Amino acid sequence: MQEMEINLTVNKKKYTLKVPVNITLLDVIRERLHLTGTKEGCGKGECGACTILFNGRSANSCLILAPQADGAEITTIEGIGSVEHLHPLQKAFVEEGAIQCGFCTPGMIMSSLYLLKENPHPTEEEIREGLSGNLCRCTGYAKIIKAVEKASKEND
Amino acid sequence: MNKFDYYRANTIEEAIQYLDEFDKDIKIIAAGTDLVVRLKQNMVKEKHILDISRIRELKGIYREDGKIHILPLTTHSEILESEEVKKYATVLREACSTIGSPQIRNRGTLGGNVANASPAGDSISALFAEEAKLKLLSSEGERVISIEDFFTGPGKTVLKTNEMLVDIFMPEMTEKEIGFFKKLGQRNALAIAVVNVSVKLGRGEEKNKMDKAVVAFGAVAPTVVRGERVEKALISESLDSPEKLRYIAQLAWREVSPISDVRASLKYRQDMSINLLYEGLLELYKNNWKG
Ligand SMILES: Cc1cc2nc3c(=O)[nH]c(=O)nc-3n(C[C@H](O)[C@H](O)[C@H](O)COP(=O)(O)OP(=O)(O)OC[C@H]3O[C@@H](n4cnc5c(N)ncnc54)[C@H](O)[C@@H]3O)c2cc1C
Ligand code: FES
Ligand code: FES
Repeated sequence: MQEMEINLTVNKKKYTLKVPVNITLLDVIRERLHLTGTKEGCGKGECGACTILFNGRSANSCLILAPQADGAEITTIEGIGSVEHLHPLQKAFVEEGAIQCGFCTPGMIMSSLYLLKENPHPTEEEIREGLSGNLCRCTGYAKIIKAVEKASKEND
Repeated sequence: MNKFDYYRANTIEEAIQYLDEFDKDIKIIAAGTDLVVRLKQNMVKEKHILDISRIRELKGIYREDGKIHILPLTTHSEILESEEVKKYATVLREACSTIGSPQIRNRGTLGGNVANASPAGDSISALFAEEAKLKLLSSEGERVISIEDFFTGPGKTVLKTNEMLVDIFMPEMTEKEIGFFKKLGQRNALAIAVVNVSVKLGRGEEKNKMDKAVVAFGAVAPTVVRGERVEKALISESLDSPEKLRYIAQLAWREVSPISDVRASLKYRQDMSINLLYEGLLELYKNNWKG
């Protein structure tokens, strides 16, 4: 199998890795960098559990070939807050009870992060649209939307 | 995932060289939102993958001689953010806004949507309505063809194995021109359209009259199709009432010969195409020339 050297910046840290060309960025993030906050659900762009920021825009890391990520600037859920210092979005998700099993949460937060960057004060409809690429089997979405609304108020 | 060798082209010239070198056994990847799914399902027979995503000359939007050019690597999100598109290619803009999810729009490219040749490709029916042309390039030279001549079946195009799509351009919509894109999916986001309809109309001198009409239906036939009967009626009739618009929309019945699959039965797709067309025409009528 052909291998290739790629350079990545993940959560502001630089990496040089030798990877097979037929794996995805999601595989690199989880299995090579051991950043397991980013989840694999469907593996085909439908559930959003693998959402990251790729050069500043939200993307499904399960659909990006590892060699295509060469030179990219990537942010994963690990890069936006820590247990001691939760990001306002993470705090709002906890406070609003927007997390049940938690599998969708990292992806939801990355999509919300991107949404609030583009549109600091979204309406409920805009939040729904902003999260339309993220599925949740547990919560029924209402609490997630509340949490994003709450976090958006911190943008005031 | 399929095994393959990976090549990266940084210029159009390099890409063309790779295409020639591995003729018939090389597949282009742009963002990969379609192709990676197929690679994972081992549905790609080519052993060489050519990454064109870094070719700067293939990205961007510009106007020239009354045409708006949207280069193939431009993403759906970039199209939605463009002031030029907002003004001069409104039907395409509406179509791109319905594609997938924010994540898919941030990555997926217009060229990938076109070259993928899905009968449900949302940008494709809009590009029919926009009367778009495509520029194809290979080592043998370039050719420009109308979007309608590009598709030969589901997933099939006239693109030769050593050829690539290098430009997508269309006449700028004028002040007299209006249009819409409408789609009906199972869910709003992430659903590949059950059916979609794109329309561009040019208003005539007389009240209630059009001097131009382009109508295209997606996901009802093996390729996107033009609605010629509807177009003729939109020009010959006086569009003076909702009833008239309803009558004209019904003419689409003969033009849509749906593929009946699990996503929607034949009759349902026909009815939906007609309804979407009527709904869109009625909105244009109310907002533009009623009373
Ligand atoms: C979850 C999900 C939801 C989606 N929703 C929609 C939707 O609502 N509507 C819709 O229309 N599509 C949808 N798509 C399909 C897809 O995202 C779009 O078609 C996208 O625009 C493809 O662009 P890409 O750059 O990712 O293409 P790629 O996957 O990179 O390529 C697609 C095909 O085009 C060829 N190709 C790409 N560029 C060129 C070129 N310049 N010259 C020659 N050949 C080329 C490739 O060889 C390949 O066969 C969806 C996909 C997913 C995974
Ligand atoms: S794992 Fe990537 S979208 Fe589901
Ligand atoms: S909390 Fe379980 S999938 Fe969303």
